Amino acid sequence: MTEIINQIVALDSKLKKENNDSGNRYLDRIYHEFEAIGFQIVIPLGQTYRNEMTDVEANVIGDLSRTSKITKVLKPVIYQIENNETKLLQKGIVVVE
Amino acid sequence: MKTINFAIDLGTTNSLIAKYDDGTIKIYNNPLGLKQTLPSCIAFRGKRTVIGDKALDYLEKDAENICMLFKRKMGTQDTYFVPSIDKEMSPIELSSLILKELKNFVNDEEVLNSVVITIPASFDTIQSNATKKAGYLAGFKEVVLLQEPIAACLAFANTSNIEVTDKQNWIVYDFGGGTFDVALVEVNDRELKVKDNLGDNYLGGADFDNLIVEHLIVPFIEEKLTLTNLWKDLKSKTTNFKGLYFELLKISEEAKKELSIYEETEIEIDVDINGENFYEQLIIKREQFEDLISSRVEQTITFIQDVIKNNQLLNSQIDRVILIGGTTYVPLIKRRIAEAIGVEVNSSIDPTSAVVHGAAYFAGSKPATEIEIEESEAENTALETIDFKLFYEQNTRDLEELITFKINSGDAKSYRIMRKDGGYDSGVKTLEDDTFSEFVPLLEGRLNPFKIQLLSDALDVIKVIDSVAINQGSYNVQGQPLPNDICMEVDDLDASTTRLDLVFAKGSILPLKKKIYKTASKTILRQSKSNLIINIIEGKSKGLPSSGLSIGYIEIFGKDLEEDLIKGTDIEIEIEVTESRDLKINVFLQSCDQEFKNAFSESERAISINKINMEINTVLGDVEELIKTNNSEENFEYSQQLENIRVGLIETQIATSLINDDDISDAKFQLDDRKRKLIQSFDDLTRNKLIAQEIEEYNESKSGLEYHLNKEENERFQDKYSRIIKNEREVINSGNKYLIRSKIKELDELYDSIIQSSDENFITYFLHMKFVTDFSNKRKAEKLIKQGDEALDKKDYKSLRHIVYGLSGLLPDYEKEKQKKFKDDSRTGLG
Repeated sequence: MTEIINQIVALDSKLKKENNDSGNRYLDRIYHEFEAIGFQIVIPLGQTYRNEMTDVEANVIGDLSRTSKITKVLKPVIYQIENNETKLLQKGIVVVE
Repeated sequence: MKTINFAIDLGTTNSLIAKYDDGTIKIYNNPLGLKQTLPSCIAFRGKRTVIGDKALDYLEKDAENICMLFKRKMGTQDTYFVPSIDKEMSPIELSSLILKELKNFVNDEEVLNSVVITIPASFDTIQSNATKKAGYLAGFKEVVLLQEPIAACLAFANTSNIEVTDKQNWIVYDFGGGTFDVALVEVNDRELKVKDNLGDNYLGGADFDNLIVEHLIVPFIEEKLTLTNLWKDLKSKTTNFKGLYFELLKISEEAKKELSIYEETEIEIDVDINGENFYEQLIIKREQFEDLISSRVEQTITFIQDVIKNNQLLNSQIDRVILIGGTTYVPLIKRRIAEAIGVEVNSSIDPTSAVVHGAAYFAGSKPATEIEIEESEAENTALETIDFKLFYEQNTRDLEELITFKINSGDAKSYRIMRKDGGYDSGVKTLEDDTFSEFVPLLEGRLNPFKIQLLSDALDVIKVIDSVAINQGSYNVQGQPLPNDICMEVDDLDASTTRLDLVFAKGSILPLKKKIYKTASKTILRQSKSNLIINIIEGKSKGLPSSGLSIGYIEIFGKDLEEDLIKGTDIEIEIEVTESRDLKINVFLQSCDQEFKNAFSESERAISINKINMEINTVLGDVEELIKTNNSEENFEYSQQLENIRVGLIETQIATSLINDDDISDAKFQLDDRKRKLIQSFDDLTRNKLIAQEIEEYNESKSGLEYHLNKEENERFQDKYSRIIKNEREVINSGNKYLIRSKIKELDELYDSIIQSSDENFITYFLHMKFVTDFSNKRKAEKLIKQGDEALDKKDYKSLRHIVYGLSGLLPDYEKEKQKKFKDDSRTGLG
């Protein structure tokens, strides 16, 4: 399942890059369905990066500082919710600048 | 006899921990990383110590405060000076920190006093003793060492169950991410001994990724963009290509994995170079990849041949080669070794965990020396009494929250906070004045549980606080709560009526927004008079739709549609209640690709006279029927109450018929209000009764089912049954008759499949049928019953089964009758 989610997120980011919003409704629906079966997908693009975030594998370009931001998300963070307990299913892969 | 059971693979680049448990091996996952491996890397950031994956973050910025590859220095006098803590760290101390971190992988309740730690075959006595010392420093009371190639052979021998009677020579070929080792192991009568070993500490799978980037991807990009010198620029500190280098390495790593399975792979390069997007596909064939890496692979083959030669052996005297280390997934390696040495090459064990796996087998057979555990227990009870105070918001809307802590004991020197889902780790930090304040990130919309560890001077865990949990997404300060449930009316086709679907529960804090996905339960043709109704209701979600207050009502008619709305297609409804209680509804019809937007506020409530009438009619029928049954049961007091409701409803109906749909006075609203109150009282009067009935029916279905389940031949249905009744309590207590009804349906379906699994079960069915009086065709029924009696005499149960089917076909169809009454115009069209 993580591979399917990765592909959807990649598709989403590709469409966004081309400023194409014709698929948004369908993507929203897909995300909704993932959530309904217990997957929480986090795309931390633009967030300030902290070394304490153990849910992402960061590739730091230049010096890491308090203002370093996540500038690219190569793979999303995926959590799985089972019996009301949240578990990390996939670490995100991000570029930090 | 107590055995050691725990084993640690203390690796140069990665470490693992496993446990032997009654014949099986459990390899522990890093609670913070999904992986079994812990990178053997430590970052010292002044007051904070970071161990593992996250330490690698600082490699570029702060290399002098990062310690890694220290295993290579074990047993030497070399130390690492760490400027940020102004201290010399020995390889032993550093290794002990890795061991302590691995202890963290194991559940808190397990006591780890004894452990097996693996070492390379090349380790001399001093290096071995240094490893032991690191173990003791990490708090282990007993440390047993085991050579890595031996561990790998044990993993192989124990998983493949081979019998070795004569002396054999095995080669263990260990090709990891950054190092290469080869060992010759002598095996006899299930005894193992390392005879020789060779290796290269700077040869690993990471080299392969670099080769792909350098020789395949970079020339491809250069050609397409007419660039030169890109490979140098990628690795240069002065250019801005570092991010790109990393991205290309990731792509290469993926390609390497694909090529281990497929003959060719297509990689997609989608990167930004000098501000321009570069998007191309490149096909890499396995042949190309193998050409690239073949010189490195040959290097490793030479090592094997040297080991064999140095021990005066011939290739033919080697009985098997065991592959471990992640790089051995590459098929060329296995093929080349088989060709060069001419023996069976075995890759059946998991190459990354083989060493710890084998070591755990060893630990499971090795008796542990008796250790006084009482002492540590006494210590624990003393620590239980540590007095501390914690402050934090339990509910928050922020994505970060502050945890403040104060302790009244001098024993704890450092602390560490971890989010239990694995998404956050503060690292080990020093306590200042016995307090800390830490901002922790939260996962949106979830309960975020945390674990806080207090550590001693030697970084041993002395207390774990497990009770901290922060709820993200709810206001702590009192916002404006909803006074009632907000629901949507939908069709309940099973019960041939409409019911309410909860959208926002009473007490939820405004503003609220939610998307609901439904399917169309009927087809609405363009230009037809049929309609789709979106009715948003404020009122009890468990009550009848007509008992609530309609706060938003949209009717979409055939004439409004650009295309036909087809049954079964999706309807997307977005419902938003603002802080000032305005309601916005946004409906999107998938099959028409059409959107309808409506905003409602209290002043423009839409009420349809038609709808009021329809609702009264539906309830009136139910009320009258109930009065009839109660009268016959001489339940006069109850029927009097019902009678009052009936009269009220009829009066309202007469009043409604006197006003027009376009009446602008507030008469409509008054009538709607009266209707609602009457239906509410009907609802209150009957709900508990109805639910009690449903529960009774549920219990009947259940006991009927259990009778059959207890029979031996029906054991296979037991699983399904337990699945159905798993959340029984929740359903019964929900007070929601639809939920209970659906459970009854599930039980009945199971009952049917049990009955139908054997012809003999139809006997009881048939005996019941004999007492039915209202068959639609009595003559036919009598004939069938006669045939059934005969079949029963002859014990011909197969025929009996068909007779029962025939009889059931003659039963009046109660459901159909009811469905007929559920006319198209009384339905919302939402399934």
